[in-house]
Amino acid sequence: MSDQADLLLATRSQVYRDEEPVEGERAEEGGCGVTGFACNIPVRGKFIYEPSIQMQNRGNGKGGGIAATGLVPEQIGVSREVLDSHYLVQLALLDATVHPELEKQFILPNFDVALSTRQDHIDDHRDIPGLTVRPPDVHRYVVRVKPAVLKAFAESTGLQALSPRELEDEFVWRNSYRLNDTFYASLGDKRAFVLSHGRDQLVFKIVGYAEQNVEYYKLQDFRAHVWIAHQRYPTKGRVWHPGGAHPFVGLNEALVHNGDFANYHSVCEYLRQRNIKQQFLTDTEVSVQLFDLWDRVYKYPLEYIIEALAPTAELDFDQLSPEKQQIYRQIQATHIHASPDGPWFFIIARNHPDQKRMQLLGITDTAMLRPQVFALADSGDVQIGLICSEKQAIDATLRSLAREDPRFCPVADKYWNARGGSSSDGGTFVFTINDENGKKKLSCADKFGRQVKLDVGNVRCDQVKRETPSEIAAAGTRKAVLEALKQGRAQDLFTHVVQNLPGWPASGLRDFCDRIVESCDNGRSKATAIEALTLLYDRRFDTGDKRRSTVLPVLEETLMRLFDASPLLGQPGEGSFRRLNWDSRATIVAPQAGEEVLLIDAEKFPPEGDDCDAVYLRRAFQAGWRRFIVYRLRGQRFTGVGLGPGTEGVRIDTYGSSGDYLASGMDGEEIRVHGNAQDQVGQIAKRGKLVIFGDVGQTFMYGGKGGEVYVMGNGAGRPLINAVGRPRVVINGTCLDFLAESFMAGDPLNGGGFVIVNGVEFDRRGKLVPLAAPYPGSNLFSLASGGAIYIRDPHKKVVEQQLNGGVFGPVTDADWRVMRPYLQENERLFGISIDELLTVDGKLLSPAEVYRKVSAVSLAVLASATEKKK
Amino acid sequence: MTFSLANSKAEPAAAPTQSAPADTESEFTVSREVRPAPDRYRNALGKYKINRSADCVACGECAKLCPQGVHVKPDGYTFTLRPLDHLCIGPDCAKTDHFCVAKCKQKALTLMRNPSVDAMGDPRWTADLILSTWHMAATGHVPTSGLEYRHGASGGGFDRMDFNFPAAPTKVDPAKVDTTLALNRRNDGRPQVNIDIPVYGGGMSFGSVSIHTIVAKARSATAWNSFTCTGEGGYPDRLKPYDEHVITQVATGLFGVREDTIQRVRIVEFKYAQGAKPGLGGHLLGDKNTPAVARMREAIAGNALFSPFPFHSVYSVEDHKKHLDWIKEVNSRALVSVKVSTPTDVDMVAVGSYYAGAHIIHLDGSYGGTGAAPDIAKKNIAMPIEYAIAKVHKFLVAEGIRDSVTLIVSGGLRTADDVMKAVALGADGVVIGTADMVALGCVRCACCESGRGCPRGIASTDPELMMLMSLEWATQRLINLMHAWRERMVDIMVRLGVSSVKDLRGRSDLLTYAREEAAL
Repeated sequence: MSDQADLLLATRSQVYRDEEPVEGERAEEGGCGVTGFACNIPVRGKFIYEPSIQMQNRGNGKGGGIAATGLVPEQIGVSREVLDSHYLVQLALLDATVHPELEKQFILPNFDVALSTRQDHIDDHRDIPGLTVRPPDVHRYVVRVKPAVLKAFAESTGLQALSPRELEDEFVWRNSYRLNDTFYASLGDKRAFVLSHGRDQLVFKIVGYAEQNVEYYKLQDFRAHVWIAHQRYPTKGRVWHPGGAHPFVGLNEALVHNGDFANYHSVCEYLRQRNIKQQFLTDTEVSVQLFDLWDRVYKYPLEYIIEALAPTAELDFDQLSPEKQQIYRQIQATHIHASPDGPWFFIIARNHPDQKRMQLLGITDTAMLRPQVFALADSGDVQIGLICSEKQAIDATLRSLAREDPRFCPVADKYWNARGGSSSDGGTFVFTINDENGKKKLSCADKFGRQVKLDVGNVRCDQVKRETPSEIAAAGTRKAVLEALKQGRAQDLFTHVVQNLPGWPASGLRDFCDRIVESCDNGRSKATAIEALTLLYDRRFDTGDKRRSTVLPVLEETLMRLFDASPLLGQPGEGSFRRLNWDSRATIVAPQAGEEVLLIDAEKFPPEGDDCDAVYLRRAFQAGWRRFIVYRLRGQRFTGVGLGPGTEGVRIDTYGSSGDYLASGMDGEEIRVHGNAQDQVGQIAKRGKLVIFGDVGQTFMYGGKGGEVYVMGNGAGRPLINAVGRPRVVINGTCLDFLAESFMAGDPLNGGGFVIVNGVEFDRRGKLVPLAAPYPGSNLFSLASGGAIYIRDPHKKVVEQQLNGGVFGPVTDADWRVMRPYLQENERLFGISIDELLTVDGKLLSPAEVYRKVSAVSLAVLASATEKKK
Repeated sequence: MTFSLANSKAEPAAAPTQSAPADTESEFTVSREVRPAPDRYRNALGKYKINRSADCVACGECAKLCPQGVHVKPDGYTFTLRPLDHLCIGPDCAKTDHFCVAKCKQKALTLMRNPSVDAMGDPRWTADLILSTWHMAATGHVPTSGLEYRHGASGGGFDRMDFNFPAAPTKVDPAKVDTTLALNRRNDGRPQVNIDIPVYGGGMSFGSVSIHTIVAKARSATAWNSFTCTGEGGYPDRLKPYDEHVITQVATGLFGVREDTIQRVRIVEFKYAQGAKPGLGGHLLGDKNTPAVARMREAIAGNALFSPFPFHSVYSVEDHKKHLDWIKEVNSRALVSVKVSTPTDVDMVAVGSYYAGAHIIHLDGSYGGTGAAPDIAKKNIAMPIEYAIAKVHKFLVAEGIRDSVTLIVSGGLRTADDVMKAVALGADGVVIGTADMVALGCVRCACCESGRGCPRGIASTDPELMMLMSLEWATQRLINLMHAWRERMVDIMVRLGVSSVKDLRGRSDLLTYAREEAAL
């Protein structure tokens, strides 16, 4: 079989021109936003629009592309058999006059054309705001290679041993290469190129934003199982070509990429050694060339492809079985020069028509230098997996899907990050859509094929019609609610739901929420209601058979109703709440007597710049407001930034999808995030209190100098890196890696800083369970010279190899005296009790038996000369 | 054009070794007037030595004769003092009528080259350049004889470029030459910032240099309506009176960065990299991390402090834009400067920074200095600034954005001549580092980073060593240096027939490659 591979590669010389390949200047890549989703039912193109537009600020409008896989035969104009068996050769015509010549040279002689169509589009591209470059005309051929041509191809290459389909695949690949060469790569003026040529897959790309593809080519109603999109941010050159935009295709896969390789030349050399030459001169092109090589030519299983891209190393390698280690060593030795070096995150849409299988993959580099979020939602009849650079874009996609099709839920059942190059998930998750008894089913697995299982209830709380509840039940609930609201006892409301929700009918929660809304005025009861609903939203408890991802939208919707009912700022009204939204933003006045809380409806505000909601929050603060609720966040950035020093007494609560840089520079205020937080949260935080009722993203508290911080879930890569001073942080989950690198936070027993890592999570019943590893990464507390980590590790799973300059020590009474107040507050906030934390395998132990301390070791190389003399 | 020769008979601006009391800093205005600020040491290093033999009869004639003040016989003294030979102009004096060697009736005086000078300096900073800088810092004017103050002897870069002075330049009135620079060309609604000279001071952190050095730079920047930069060590309280002339640096270790320090200034500088240690981040060695330094950075005294090589929050260009947006959000009026080193794709980096929102792109070439890095890094990586300027300038012009962004360059710019050459190659203005240090008395011994730091108390936070230099004296030295530089810049521009720094920009036709050492 490897002879065939070598022969295949060697005979590609037939396709190349004699001249040396263009030693071109690599087209500058840089950054971007990537997104994708896969669904077991075909989804309209309209829905790739949402996450793309949410990530406009990750691109600059100079390149945007989309790919659709798993199409609907009728929409292509062919039968199911034809769609499964034929290639969709889709061309971008930059110069309209090239078409006849191109067709004559590359299509008609080689292919039996089942259908030839011109893609529809709107009349004038300028009708799309911001789209300045006219997109290329797109022509699509549905083809098979002519049998005689294929036979001649087999003979001229000597590849008769390949299966007919493999032969045909290779022919199509080569034909596209030659076409691109003739009409694109070798030319000054680009005339045409192949967008995609796989089966049941289409790519569109333009010089513009990704979602403008949907608008221009009228794809709103075009349906597909798998969609991916890319917002490009190129910086070089005044003329951009759509050919440089992503996705790039291998054969049956389309790839989009966020990042930038440092070893592009090494990767090119590796490919050229295998007789694979480049045409578009971007990192992304070589990425998909690698994938195609390992997949189609070498026929590696997916696991090995991923290993070649993102090799397992350090402690993770040691944890593999000996058999795996041997294979992985071989792969690394052979392919290390091709492993992309540098920040990268790939999303790949892939098709196996013969196995009736479609896939969406997300793969991250081993150092996890790019942000990535995965999400999975299973409503029984519809299942969807999503991957994105930012969680807020996932939320936007689900919200828009749920608005149109009630089978979808606006909240996913599970959100998580991948750990690059790891033995736990290989930095990869794959959503696979398979045929099962004529129905499509979606499943999710990591690099090693381990399934991601959802353990959620099956009863939806959010779709039910409001039935008239039984008189007695309604009266009982109404009475309880009224009492609690009158007396300001949010905790009672919370307890009422926690105790009753599992037993309620599907409509029970809705009813409860309706009672709350109708019993609220604008004063104290409203505050109590908000507090209670927020508690229910934040806390993890047993929802019985009710699916939690449907409980949350009901609670959120109720909160929105309460918020929206508040009078606008500057308008006459009662009570202590006032509201500001995009339309009313010009009116910022100081709070009048009795006015205490300013609600900011963030929905229409831009994510950054002079008009973003964060700016208005600051102005309101300067006008005298101290208590804020920012809601309907859609990824807006910089919440709480710019308030300056001395902000004691300020409290900000956020609801919705908060964005990057939240709470950065905080210097006295209290900020609570009700939900997950994104990236660059709490940079240089100096003082104040930050509570995150969920996970937090990349470089959390980078350069942090203080603050009291509580995270209910996990951190991603590089939390608290380069932190100094005295931050005191509790992370209840764990982190991807590089926690507290270069920590310089003094002596925790003497006013310095520390991080408590509990390594636990909630199961479906709201019970605390330990994670598989309290800390899975290979770099804990690296190069730190101060501060400490207190890690919950009763079974001593964390080993010395994971430390780079730290040392294990016991947790003494003095340590516990310092830790305890924070764990007590942790308990109050999250319901994570100290007793539970100290219980191991059913037995209550002492802190010293449960926690371990990691402290800085005095490294000679770091110390001063005077220190060394001692 | 007037020159005033070194005049040691006038009272110096301040006693060099006193520490100025803090309340003199309550003044917000600092005069840019030249006042003599002679060397700290009575027997300073000079190019020449005058020996007086035992034949001397102490007639005192030499003291009356020498206009430089080399010979001094105060009233009531029997003998003349030891010659202040660092003030001697050397063999050129033989052409005059006041050459002491010739006029001494006892033939007691001999003139020779000071052998110490041969041990001083290196091809980039020659002994002549060091001594010239000291002269300018002492007097406020370029030296008039004996010292090569225009270029070094490195055999490359600026030292192989000459000005192509036209035979009949366009007439330009020296009094009207415009050396100002406007820093905000983005038209984005943020305030304009104008500086009176196309030079500002480089980032030197509290920790790499002493507080006197930092405050002196700030006071000189105030006098010249320009800027100094905090470096990566935080914002010392004593800089607060000079907020309007300070650039806060946000570097990769984020030391001392708080909303407060970002909000008080007009310009914020992102230090992505530094030419002296590209790709390496910073490394303040343990001994320089004194308790005061540690307190400001909120770290532990005695430990080495690392700044990582990248910003950990910026691994892609959209992160860079987000990062700039963040600072702009914190301070709605500040300009943003992005400081980068000079890799081969520096032009791409510059363009990327512009699109990410920067007002100023600051290129730091490989010959820059540092007070906080190990030896292995210095001078060994990245591109000299002479290459980078032209490359970036041309690229930005081709991209059509040259006039929307300000290009500032640094990395081994030593003299006013270097500044003018940099502008002619395509820069709008420059940042200097070492030149300021030399003006304060630095001898380029290269001991800045280790142990207690600089033996002359300039690049040291050691409480004892820093007292070797007074704040008042240091301030005046820097003010004088800028005065001398500005005079020289005007001189060059007049001879080129160019009436403003803006008009000189990119005029590489006014430069020529010098085959031999420049001989003007």
